[in-house]
Amino acid sequence: MLEQLLIFTRGGLILWSCNEIGNALKGSPIDTLIRSCLLEERSGASSYNYDAPGAAYSLKWTFHNDLGLVFVAVYQRILHLLYVDDLLAAVKREFSQVYDPTRTVYRDFDEIFKQLKIEAEARAEDLKKSNPVIVGGNRKQQVTWKGDGSDGKKNGSAGGGLKNDGDGKNGKKNSENDRSAIVNNGNGYNLRSNGVVGNVSVNGKENDSVNNGAFDVNRLQKKVRNKGGNGKKTDAVVTKAEPKKVVKKNRVWDEKPVETKLDFTDHVDIDGDADKDRKVDYLAKEQGESMMDKDEIFSSDSEDEEDDDDDNAGKKSKPDAKKKGWFSSMFQSIAGKANLEKSDLEPALKALKDRLMTKNVAEEIAEKLCESVAASLEGKKLASFTRISSTVQAAMEDALVRILTPRRSIDILRDVHAAKEQRKPYVVVFVGVNGVGKSTNLAKVAYWLQQHNVNVMMAACDTFRSGAVEQLRTHARRLQIPIFEKGYEKDPAVVAKEAIQEASRNGSDVVLVDTAGRMQDNEPLMRALSKLIYLNNPDLVLFVGEALVGNDAVDQLSKFNQKLADLSTSPTPRLIDGILLTKFDTIDDKVGAALSMVYISGAPVMFVGCGQSYTDLKKLNVKSIVKTLLK
Amino acid sequence: MQELEQWKEQASHLLNVANDYLREVPPNQLYAAAAIAVFTTLLLLLRFLKRTKSNTIVLTGLSGSGKTVIFYQLRDGSTHQGTVTSMEPNEDTFVLHGETTKKGKIKPVHIVDVPGHSRLRPKLDEYLPQAAGIVFVVDALDFLPNCRAASEYLYDLLTKGSVVRKKIPLLILCNKTDKVTAHTKEFIRKQIEKEIEKLRASRSAVSDADVTNEFTLGVPGEPFSFTQCSNTVTTADASGLTGEISQLEEFIRAHVKP
Repeated sequence: MLEQLLIFTRGGLILWSCNEIGNALKGSPIDTLIRSCLLEERSGASSYNYDAPGAAYSLKWTFHNDLGLVFVAVYQRILHLLYVDDLLAAVKREFSQVYDPTRTVYRDFDEIFKQLKIEAEARAEDLKKSNPVIVGGNRKQQVTWKGDGSDGKKNGSAGGGLKNDGDGKNGKKNSENDRSAIVNNGNGYNLRSNGVVGNVSVNGKENDSVNNGAFDVNRLQKKVRNKGGNGKKTDAVVTKAEPKKVVKKNRVWDEKPVETKLDFTDHVDIDGDADKDRKVDYLAKEQGESMMDKDEIFSSDSEDEEDDDDDNAGKKSKPDAKKKGWFSSMFQSIAGKANLEKSDLEPALKALKDRLMTKNVAEEIAEKLCESVAASLEGKKLASFTRISSTVQAAMEDALVRILTPRRSIDILRDVHAAKEQRKPYVVVFVGVNGVGKSTNLAKVAYWLQQHNVNVMMAACDTFRSGAVEQLRTHARRLQIPIFEKGYEKDPAVVAKEAIQEASRNGSDVVLVDTAGRMQDNEPLMRALSKLIYLNNPDLVLFVGEALVGNDAVDQLSKFNQKLADLSTSPTPRLIDGILLTKFDTIDDKVGAALSMVYISGAPVMFVGCGQSYTDLKKLNVKSIVKTLLK
Repeated sequence: MQELEQWKEQASHLLNVANDYLREVPPNQLYAAAAIAVFTTLLLLLRFLKRTKSNTIVLTGLSGSGKTVIFYQLRDGSTHQGTVTSMEPNEDTFVLHGETTKKGKIKPVHIVDVPGHSRLRPKLDEYLPQAAGIVFVVDALDFLPNCRAASEYLYDLLTKGSVVRKKIPLLILCNKTDKVTAHTKEFIRKQIEKEIEKLRASRSAVSDADVTNEFTLGVPGEPFSFTQCSNTVTTADASGLTGEISQLEEFIRAHVKP
């Protein structure tokens, strides 16, 4: 059963909550959702799991960006409620009609909601009933399904574009829905309504255009193909595709054919002549006037290529169309676009994603960020005299600043003083993969602390690599800092423990623990690290990562966090608290690693190593990083 | 000398030309042009005046201290159905709810409730330059665990250039005092002063590696107290849930004249 359904503004005022359900939630799942998911630019995800003592909830949400509303549904995780997405969409639709910014009480929405919920539940029931049909009778349908594998895959990817199917559950549901849609096609009338339901969850927001008229697989496939093949073109039409098309027209008799033209003929071939009209009709309906152009290309390409008259007519009409496009885009920029849609945002987002990736941001992260930005912009009104690209860029800038702004205090000196008052040393453990500069940067941190009148001690717990202890000893001698070492072949956890005891004895304020570099997949070494951290309970676990790393940053950090959590014997495992980014002077403008690491771990960048000498330690300048990333 | 004469001649010639031209233009057009010029200057002047006389009060504080509730108490006199963590600032210009029954013309107040989540703090900088007063909301019930974070936030606020230079008055509002176990405002004030004293030690340790605040707080060599601040810092009690916000309203009215 649904536990709670809330409607609130982005400002935080609850406008409506489901009264009749009424049972109080355990913990505060909504606040946690906002803090750790929506504000962390993870709103592109499809659901969020919340664990409280005695309860495990799943939360799903949707935004109405134009009105600034958030709809959140909470339900028990063990129940896989299929109708939640559907219900949320319906509630969003209905509520946006009654919403009035000056009103704060919406008790009359109770009735509407009750109705919506009953409807959604009924549809879910139907869907459930329709599923066994596959198992029961229609082998043939199964075969069809298999045969259409490629299309199904395409469909899945289209669905993924619209809605992030990060977890397998959603993906499974998608395919389930697909199947039911196909079954529906075979079975005829009785199940038609189910097919529509399935379609709703597969295609998300595009469904309205499909729902009209009869529903068949051909149509669905075509729709998918339109999405896949023409997606780019459709978008471009809105902006500046017309000039390109003129070029294409002139080059019909060139030696090398334009690729996109080939694409068109392909379409015609597959769809067949009979379908063509319908397809064109359909596209025109969906995309408005600009499809007129496309229709002409079809005819000239496929049939009368030597017909001069027709060609001339085509040429004549081209500049016309071009003018219109220019004028309408001009008009649009003045009047402001009605509501931004996913398709409008896509080209700008793709450009932005590419730009982020050239700045060395991990692909996965760039993808997620773009999804989140899209979720925050979709349905919003474009202000007059702004372009989509600049709107998207501004939204991305906001998001990046939000991500890189540290969540916790990064004032280590303050923490050191606090620990000093409690008369215990402040322990920092440096972890990371091989060769990223753990020891060097440990020395830099030691030097920085020493500058602020803090008594520092180093602990050489890298008992693994030859020469590691000697290296640290050299640093210690140069900085005149005491070092605690026990040679090699010792358990690092024990060495660290003794070092901390020694530090509290001789009155050191900070213990910097150097550990052996380890690859994130090396299980025995990761287990040793987990033990070291569990045994000594350091105040700060600092992950040292090099700024040169690209996609691997995600893997390193997530694996480190994962292993620390999995291999720990304590019920509340310690994770990475902060990041030290090294070799920052070598990367020029490819600062993406900082973003990748912060996004994936949620830990702030505490120091940045930017040179070879002891003084080359800086704090991260969020503004300049964001500027560089978007340059 | 000759050059000067030449210049003069040219100037008078130009003047003549301008005069001739003016005579050619119908007087109606001239009047219209003059009217437009006067109108625009008036408009610009009005805007300038408006900007100097700010009526903005900024509500700030840690996440979960009750800023949004207080915002709606000020506006509507009710908390509606409760609030969740804000993702965007709430801002509105209105006559305070407690004053709607008063007679006479009352100047509305522009109140901004800035989210307290640390990721959203950069938003605060947008509103500070136009603020006539800052209200720092503190959760008096759950104070001790959040003391350090609150003090750090307050320290950052009090050392911001835009706050110090304009001497924007600040009110530390102890919220949730309707609960029995809530701390008193005197206690909270003392604790925050103590924490800021410690912060002063760690933050003034300036090095190249540090992001330095523009201004330092307090007098060196003396324990910190709010009286050393260049802007006035006062404390007050409030309870957002029960609507006990009279002290806050007094503060607002002291700095935004009705």
